[in-house]
Amino acid sequence: METVFELSQARKSFGAVHALSSIDLQIAKGERVALIGASGSGKTTLLRLFGAQLAPDRGEVRVLGCNPLVLGEGKLRELRSRLGYLPQDLGLVPNLRVLQNVVAGRCGRRSILGNLRDLILPAVAVRRRIFELLERVGIEEKMYDRVDTLSGGQQQRVAVARALFQEPAVILADEPVSAVDPARARDVLELLTRLSEEEGLTLLVSMHQLDLAREFFPRLVGLKHGKVHFDGKPSELGSEGLSALFQLGDKAVVS
Amino acid sequence: MKVPGTFWLGKRLAVVALLGVLLVSGWVLGPRIIQLSEGADPFAEVGRFFGAALSPSLADENPSLPQDARPFLLRLGESLLRTFRYALIAISLAVPAGLVLGFLASSAWWPGGMRYGKAPVGRTIMRGMLRLLRWGCRFLITLGRSIHELVWALFFLSALGDAPIAACSALALPFAGTLGKVFSELIDEQSQGSRSTLMATGASPLQAFVSALLPSALPEMLTYTVYRFECALRSSAVLGFIGVETVGLGIRQSYESLYYGEVWTQLYALVIVVVGVDTLGARLRDRLNRGATRKAVPELSKLELGRSEARLRRTAPRDWIVRGGLLAGMMLVLISWTNGRELGINMAAEQRDARIGRFLTKLTPAPARPENSTASGGERIEALEGKGKAVKDWAVDLWSRNGAEALLNTVAIASSAIVLAAIGAALLLPVGSRALARGEPFGVLGAASRWVHWWWSGVGFLTRSLFILARAVPEYVYAFLLVGLLGPSAWPLVFALALHNLGILGRLWGEVMENQRPEVPRHWIQSGAGRVQSYCGSLAPLSFNRFLLFFFYRWETCIREATILGMLGISSLGYYVSIAHNWLRYDEMLFYVLLGVAVVFAGDVLSDWMRRKLRGEIASS
Repeated sequence: METVFELSQARKSFGAVHALSSIDLQIAKGERVALIGASGSGKTTLLRLFGAQLAPDRGEVRVLGCNPLVLGEGKLRELRSRLGYLPQDLGLVPNLRVLQNVVAGRCGRRSILGNLRDLILPAVAVRRRIFELLERVGIEEKMYDRVDTLSGGQQQRVAVARALFQEPAVILADEPVSAVDPARARDVLELLTRLSEEEGLTLLVSMHQLDLAREFFPRLVGLKHGKVHFDGKPSELGSEGLSALFQLGDKAVVS
Repeated sequence: MKVPGTFWLGKRLAVVALLGVLLVSGWVLGPRIIQLSEGADPFAEVGRFFGAALSPSLADENPSLPQDARPFLLRLGESLLRTFRYALIAISLAVPAGLVLGFLASSAWWPGGMRYGKAPVGRTIMRGMLRLLRWGCRFLITLGRSIHELVWALFFLSALGDAPIAACSALALPFAGTLGKVFSELIDEQSQGSRSTLMATGASPLQAFVSALLPSALPEMLTYTVYRFECALRSSAVLGFIGVETVGLGIRQSYESLYYGEVWTQLYALVIVVVGVDTLGARLRDRLNRGATRKAVPELSKLELGRSEARLRRTAPRDWIVRGGLLAGMMLVLISWTNGRELGINMAAEQRDARIGRFLTKLTPAPARPENSTASGGERIEALEGKGKAVKDWAVDLWSRNGAEALLNTVAIASSAIVLAAIGAALLLPVGSRALARGEPFGVLGAASRWVHWWWSGVGFLTRSLFILARAVPEYVYAFLLVGLLGPSAWPLVFALALHNLGILGRLWGEVMENQRPEVPRHWIQSGAGRVQSYCGSLAPLSFNRFLLFFFYRWETCIREATILGMLGISSLGYYVSIAHNWLRYDEMLFYVLLGVAVVFAGDVLSDWMRRKLRGEIASS
């Protein structure tokens, strides 16, 4: 099995705060992994290490088979352009249309003039491709609407479409279901799992809703205090492991 | 809920300090408010002037005009058109310059934004150079802004003669600076989420700038440009007071001939044009914020993909009013450049060069001037170096003779005016607020009587109209009229500045209150407090830091304005600038202008520092 992400003995701290200490982790191509843990356990830092957005202080990170630290500026950006990324705030430009937001997914692979053309007068082929992608996430009729006129769920789909337009090898999603009502949370996870199955995309999602993680992901990685506390199938995670992960004395809260 | 405090002062202390500033500046300016010649009855003239407000003239008041003279209304229309034209030309020069300056003054597009590991040496050097470039740009921006357009106009008109392009460039310089500053601030204040997401997926900072930051800042940049155009209209009108043929010239001539009816007609015309542009700007902002929404989705399912997409695209929501407005604006700019009086300098090249040469010679400090006035620039600089001591004595003499006092007066005028304006705005806000001044404040059920509803809506509307009218007339026009009515003391200038800024603070502070979350003030109303109580107890303290933010911003602009109001004959920097100008002593003029630049720079730095502190305070609360 080809390895997509690999961390060996990776550490990262921000000032005096140790966000991650001595992490060893491998994620293979096509895997769907949920990163779970309480807030402050290092989920976002781990995602950003895998996204080649942060360099580890010590240890090694390999992203799609390369060590980002030895790459030059251009190669690093090329690497990043193959990593679909869904930040928690979605990172959309509210006063632009859906089309213009999705087309920004390939921003890094174009020249500046190409960026301007994409914004103002995108090519027919590009428009068709984006229409197709929007059809797949189910909001094709919103293609020419401004993002700030869309509902929260629709905006999330725009961000997913933008990531797909990158033609990425993986999708990293930072807490996509944390600020969402339960019905919409299922919707988003169903969409992401379906896309990952159809495209063979590796999917790495950070979240803290255990029930959803168990339902949608065949592999869970539990983080606690910047260390891997659990790594395995949902069925292997018993209630003791759980309460230790979230440091809960009262088990009733979990169920 | 925690009510945020002010950064190192408590709110009460801040208010006391500002009142102290008012007292000290009032003491500097002296007690005499009305200063007319012996025997003159100020109230008769004031009464006659304001009486004429109700009977503006539609025809010439001068009975001895020749039969074939152009009628008053026609002349008024022409001068309004010229005012409009010069403002448009100025703004069309200022916007491109402001875009370039704003881009260079922002650091958002610098390479190496999302650093990974150690930055390469080349990158560090490059960023250092860009930092230098940005520093230079910021200096240019502040320099352009710190010299008032009227002073730029004095320089340009002296050097180039009365060509309209000289007046337009004079307007364009400070406006380019302000636009550059605001554009860069708007870009830096955009939410960073979209920018960092694009960079996380492989975009360079410059690409993220083009694809995310710029588009999201564009609507605000556009509405700010319309606001600056409104300011350009006012400034263009004021240029009339130094002889450019805009509406200010007519106001001055009519006033000096005591044709008060004509003065009022022209004031009304100016106010209508300015308020019209103001309203257009508000509508534009509204539409840009809302965005067009799709009316109906066309049938898609049965169609082939490409045709579905094309159909969606054809029926895409587009705001035709905004698009039409932009197109009309561009057409107007084009028309302004190509029609009407020749813009350029209307004299032979040698004549023009000789004129500029003479101007430059006179601009050189008198003791440093070479005997031979045709000396080249290099020789001049050499001469300057040789005569350094003489120049120093010259400057010290000017400083101790008038400079120091003029500087003090300028600062005192600006400070007392802005504090007065703030007091006025603070008192009027509860009755001018859209949320409070209505029958049902904050939607809380109010009195059943319909009269109460009408009363409060009426009061609110009148107060907001007062704000609009107060800011529609330029401070220079107020000052000109008030000096004429009250006599030459500093106080008419203070009142003029205060009145204009009352209108601006009323609007800015009103917007701050409208953007405040309504829960707390509504709770006050619900628990039985009156409108004013709710304002004093919740809205005002909640908005205090933001109020101060705008207060300092206006203080800075007041200092800039105060330096030129002295041109009306009151001992402040502008007075000595205009005296020197009248005597063709351009070197002394430059000295006083540079004094003004120094004080505006100082005010700029101080206000910038205060505002940064306040922003931090607001962000953390």
